Amino acid sequence: MVHPGRGAKVTTKLAAFRRVGVMVVRELALTALLLLGVSLVVFVILHLSPGDPFSVLLEGQAPGQAARASVREALGVPTTWYGRYLAWLGNMAHGNLGTSIRTGVPVAGEIVRAGPNTLYLTLGSLLVTLLLAVPLALYSAWRRSGALARALTLAVYLISAVPVFWLGYVVIYLCIHRFGLFPLLSATAEPQRHGWLYILLPIIVLGVANGTVSEVTRHLREELGRVMAEDYIRTARAKGAPVWRHAFKEGFLLPMTEMIAAKMPFVLGGAVIVEQVFNWPGLGRMAWQAAQDRDFPVIMGITIVAAAFVRLASLLRGVIYAGVNPRTATE
Amino acid sequence: MKTLPRIVPLILTLTVLTTIPAASPAASKNDGRPDGGILAYGEYGRPATLDPITSNEMISLRITELVFNGLVGIDEKQAIVPELAERWEVSQDGRTYTFFLRKGVRWHPRDGEAPRLFTADDVLFTHNIMMHPKTITPLKVRYEFIEKVEKLDDSTVRFTLKRPILNALAKFSFKVIPAHGPANPQYLTREDPFVRNPIGTGPYIVKSISADREIVLMANEDYFKGRPHINKFLSKPFADQNIMTQAMMFNAIDMLVLVNPRDLPELQGDRRFVLQPYNALSYAFFGYNLRSPLLADKRVRRAFTHAVNRKEMLDAFFNGQGTIISGPFAPGSWAYNLDVQPLPYDPAKAVALLNEAGFTPGPDGVMQKGGKPLALSLKVPIEKESEAVKRVVLAFQNYLKAIGVSVKVEFKEWQAWKDAVFAEHDFDVILASWVFDDSADISSLFHSAEIGPWKNNFGGYSNPEVDGLIVESKLTLDHEKRRTINRKLHALLAEEAPYTFLWTLTNYSGYHKKLRRVAIHPYKFFSFADEWFIPAAEQK
Amino acid sequence: MRRYRQAAGEVGERRERSRWRAATTADLAAVGYGLLVVALVVISYALGAVGWLPDDPARMDMARLNAPPGPGHALGTDFLGRDMLSRLIVGIQAYFLPGLLAVATSLALGATLGVVAGYRDGRAEALVTYLSNLVDSFPRLVLILLVIAAFRADIYYVMLVVGITGAPAIASLIAGKIQFLRTKSFIEAAHVLGLSTRVIVVKHILWYNCAPLLIIQATLGMGEAILVETSLSYLGFGVQEPTPSWGNMVQAGANYFFHGKFWPSTAPALAILGTILGFHLLGDGLNNILESKSAP
Repeated sequence: MVHPGRGAKVTTKLAAFRRVGVMVVRELALTALLLLGVSLVVFVILHLSPGDPFSVLLEGQAPGQAARASVREALGVPTTWYGRYLAWLGNMAHGNLGTSIRTGVPVAGEIVRAGPNTLYLTLGSLLVTLLLAVPLALYSAWRRSGALARALTLAVYLISAVPVFWLGYVVIYLCIHRFGLFPLLSATAEPQRHGWLYILLPIIVLGVANGTVSEVTRHLREELGRVMAEDYIRTARAKGAPVWRHAFKEGFLLPMTEMIAAKMPFVLGGAVIVEQVFNWPGLGRMAWQAAQDRDFPVIMGITIVAAAFVRLASLLRGVIYAGVNPRTATE
Repeated sequence: MKTLPRIVPLILTLTVLTTIPAASPAASKNDGRPDGGILAYGEYGRPATLDPITSNEMISLRITELVFNGLVGIDEKQAIVPELAERWEVSQDGRTYTFFLRKGVRWHPRDGEAPRLFTADDVLFTHNIMMHPKTITPLKVRYEFIEKVEKLDDSTVRFTLKRPILNALAKFSFKVIPAHGPANPQYLTREDPFVRNPIGTGPYIVKSISADREIVLMANEDYFKGRPHINKFLSKPFADQNIMTQAMMFNAIDMLVLVNPRDLPELQGDRRFVLQPYNALSYAFFGYNLRSPLLADKRVRRAFTHAVNRKEMLDAFFNGQGTIISGPFAPGSWAYNLDVQPLPYDPAKAVALLNEAGFTPGPDGVMQKGGKPLALSLKVPIEKESEAVKRVVLAFQNYLKAIGVSVKVEFKEWQAWKDAVFAEHDFDVILASWVFDDSADISSLFHSAEIGPWKNNFGGYSNPEVDGLIVESKLTLDHEKRRTINRKLHALLAEEAPYTFLWTLTNYSGYHKKLRRVAIHPYKFFSFADEWFIPAAEQK
Repeated sequence: MRRYRQAAGEVGERRERSRWRAATTADLAAVGYGLLVVALVVISYALGAVGWLPDDPARMDMARLNAPPGPGHALGTDFLGRDMLSRLIVGIQAYFLPGLLAVATSLALGATLGVVAGYRDGRAEALVTYLSNLVDSFPRLVLILLVIAAFRADIYYVMLVVGITGAPAIASLIAGKIQFLRTKSFIEAAHVLGLSTRVIVVKHILWYNCAPLLIIQATLGMGEAILVETSLSYLGFGVQEPTPSWGNMVQAGANYFFHGKFWPSTAPALAILGTILGFHLLGDGLNNILESKSAP
C-alpha cells in the first residue's frame, strides 16, 4: 500500500470532493430526465386507459356523453392528451401538481401533509430491516456454517414471507388481547398509555414483513464473505495489516447503501398496505383511494414524488460510493 | 358504508303526502339535559367534500346534515317540519310556494369575522349556484321542476314551479349555503375552498380537517334550535372495517354509523354498547337483463326466484337481520303490499318451471333449449370490503347450479361495472340495491320510457300494464288511491319477476351506551343529533 | 449504474459434479426442502387440474361457515363453508401461470437488457441504464395500482408489471456477469474461435454461465408473485372469487381474525409461508452450491 505525503493527501481529498460534485450534478441531471420519463410513462398509461377519471364527480347522476363533456368544459380540461400532458408539465414546473378530481384539493399540499408520515414509516421500517439483517449477516459471514447462523437465517426467511397485512392483524390482536392496548392513531382524545407503540408497531410490521429482510441479509452476507475472501485481504491479514477498514467499506457500507437504494421502491409499496391496516395517514392510503377513484392528478403526483424519493436514495448511494470509493465516480 | 351489496347511489323522488304543520318558534334547549362531551364516530372511507352541493357520497352527506339546514326538515315520523322557513303558503294551483324565513338566524362565523344573518338572498344564491351549468351536482336534475325563485323581501322567498308536482314541499329540504360562502359566486366546483371549509346554519361548525380527513366539528352556541348538547363531533376515517370495529371495541371511537353484519354478534354480546336498528328504505335484488332471450320468459325468472333460498342466506350471512321481500318497494314503505308473499324456496318447482319454459337438461347437466345452454353472466363490482356481496353472489351461483343453470360470476371495477350495466347493457344478471330517499316512486325503475343508456330501467323491462299503473299513480293526488294502485303494481311486478327481490337488511348503528336520546334518520343519519346528549358523569 | 458485483463464477460447466460433492449438508437440506415444495406445488397443480380433491372446492355448507379443522374438512371451512384443503390445493393454480408470466417477463426482459448493456458500450448501454433506472424509480405496488386504475384488476396485468419491475435486477446481474467474463477474455476467445455472437450470447453466456443465476431468480420470482397477489387481495384487487387463491383466502379469513377465529386465515398464510420459504431456501442453496465462492 502506498502512503502519500501530507500535501498529496489534501489534493486527493479535494479531487475527491470535485469528483463527488461532478457525480452529484450528473446524477441530478439524470434524475430530472428520469422524472420526466416517469411522468410520461404514467401519463401514457393513464391516457391509454378506457375509463373516465371524471366519473367520480358524476356519481349519483346519469353520466351520459353530454354530462361528461360538460364536466370537462366546466373544469377546463384540454381536449388532446398531449395538451393535458404539457399543461401538467407546465404546472409541475411551478411546483403545482394540479388538484385532486375527487376532493378539489391541491395535490402538492396533500402530499406535503401526508408525505412525512410515509417518510417516517418507510425510513423507520428500513431501519428495522437493517437492525434485523445486519447483525445476522455479520454473524453468519463470520460463522458461515454455524447452526445458530442457519437457524437465524431460516427464521428471517420465514418472517419475510409473511403476508404483511396478516402480520398486522396478528400484531394488533396480540396488543389488544395480551397487552390491553389499542395501537391506532385514531385513539381516544385523551393521551393513551403506551401511545408511542402506535408509532412503532406499523414501523416494525413493515420492517419485518416488507419482504426484503431475507434479500438484504443474503446480499450483505455474500458481499462480506466475498470481500473477506479477496486475495489481498487474505495477504494483508496474513501480514498482520488492519483490514477492517477496507472490509467495512467494501463489504458492508457499499452493499448496504446499495440495498437501501434498491429496496426503497419495495418498502414504499409495502406502506400502501400497512397504512391501511394501521390507519396511518400517509401517501399509501392516498394512492389506494386515488387508484379506486381514478383520481389521475393524485396518482401522477404520488408517483412522481415517490420516484423522486427513490432517486434521492440512489443519489445518496452515489455520493457514498464516490466518497468511499473514488473509482466509481469516474466510471 | 358499503356492507350492503353495492348501493346504487340513486335517490328517488319523495312521494310522502304530509300535512303542513303550524310554524313553531325557535326552540331553546332548556330541556334539563346536560351539555358537553365528545362523540367520535368511525366512517369507512374518507369524505370528498363537505358542502351539500358537490358532495355525492354518504360520508359527506352525513357531515352536511350536521352543518347545514334546509328550508324545511323531515322529522322522525317522516313529517315535514319547519327549519329555516318558519312557515309557508302554497297557492291554489300548486305552482307557487312562498316561504317565510326564520329571522335572526346567523351563519357560522368565519375566523375573525362577525357572523352574518341568514336572508332570502342566501336561498336564491343556493338555488342559482345549484342550477348553474358549471356546477357539477346530482341535485340539478332533482330541481329542474323549479321555474323561478324570487325574493319578496329579506325574509320571504317565492318559488314558482313549472307544473304542480306531488309532495313538492319535501324537496325544499335542500340545504341552504351562504351567499358569502363560496369564493366563486357564480358556480361551485370542488376546487372552491368552501367545499372543504364550509359554513352553515346547522348545529355544528366545521373546525378542522386533518390530512387524513379526520373532521372536527364544534357545537354551534348560536344554533337557532338551541345549542346542541354534545360539545364536539369527531369524524374518523378508517380504511379497514375490521380495524374500525376493533376501534369501537376498544373505545377509540364511540359510534359506528353502520355495523358490518359479521360484527353484530360481537357487539351484541357487549354490555357497553347499544345496537340501534334503523330502517334504510332500501332493498337488494338480483336484476335480470330481459334483452337476453334466455331471460325473456317470466317462468325462467320465477324459477330462479324459487331456486334461491333467501332465508338460508339471510340467516347465515346477516344473522337473520332483515326482511325477505316480495316486490319492488321497501317493506317500511306505505306502498309495500303485505298480501303478496315471497315465492318459497322450492328447487323442484324451479326445475318444473324451467321444463315448462322448454328447457331440458343437457349432457353436461346444464339446462338447454334448442341447443342453447342456460348459461348466464353475473356481473359484480369489485370492492375492498365486499364479503357480503361475494357470499350472496356465490351462493346464488350455487343455488342455480343445483337446478342446472350455469352462472359465471364476473367481478368488475366499479366504473367499468356501471358502464357495462347502465350504458352497454352487457350483462345477464346483477346484484344491486336501490336506496329510496323517502318512499316509493318506482317509475324510473320499471317504466318503459326509462329504458336507455344511463337510465334506471337497466334490465329493459317493458309492460304496458305496469306503465299505465305507474302513470296513474303519479297523476293521482289522493293518497289512498295511490296506495291501491301501488299495491296492484307490487302484485304485478312480483308475478312478472323482472328482479329476484331479496331482502331489506336491518341497518344497525352501534354506539357506546353513554350516548343518550339517540334518534337516527333513515338515510341522513344525523338529522336529530343536536338532541343527543351524554350524561355529565360519563363525559370525561 | 447499479452493479451487483457478482462473485467469480465458473467459466464452463465442467466443475458441476465436484461442486455438488463439495456442498454442505445444510445446503443440500435447503435445496431438498425447496425441491419438496416445488414438487408439492406441481403435484397440487396436477391434482387440481385433474380434480382429485378431498371435496368440491366450490361446494358450500351454509351451516358450517369458518369451521375449524374436523371430520369431513381436514383443514376446516371458509366464509362460505367451502372445504379449505381443497381450496388450498386448487389455490396454487392462481399463481402457476401468472407467476410463470412474471418470471418469464423478468427473465426475457432482464436477459435482453443485460446482454445489451454488458455486450455493447456507449449509447445502447446508456439507454439500458436509463430504462433500468426508470423502472426502478417506480414503487412497485404504486405502479400496480396505477395499472389497475387505468385498466382492470386482472392478475395477468399485475404479473406483467411484477415481471417488468423485476427485470432491471436481472439485467444488472447478467451485465455484471458478462463484464466479468470479458475481463477474463473469455468472450474475445470465443470470437477468435469463430463462434457467432448469437451462439456466444445464448449458449455460452446465458446458458452456461447465467443459468444458475436465472434459476435462482426464477424461484424467487415465484415467491414474489404470491406475496404481491396476497397484498392485492387485501386491497380487493387480487384474484377474484370464486377462483381460490391463497391471497384471497387469507383476506377472507382475516375478516374473522378479531372474532378469535384464527384458522381460516392462518391456514393459507402458513401455506404461503412454507412455500415461499421453500423458494428462498432453494434459491439460497443453489446459489451456495452453483456459485460457490470458495472454489479456487
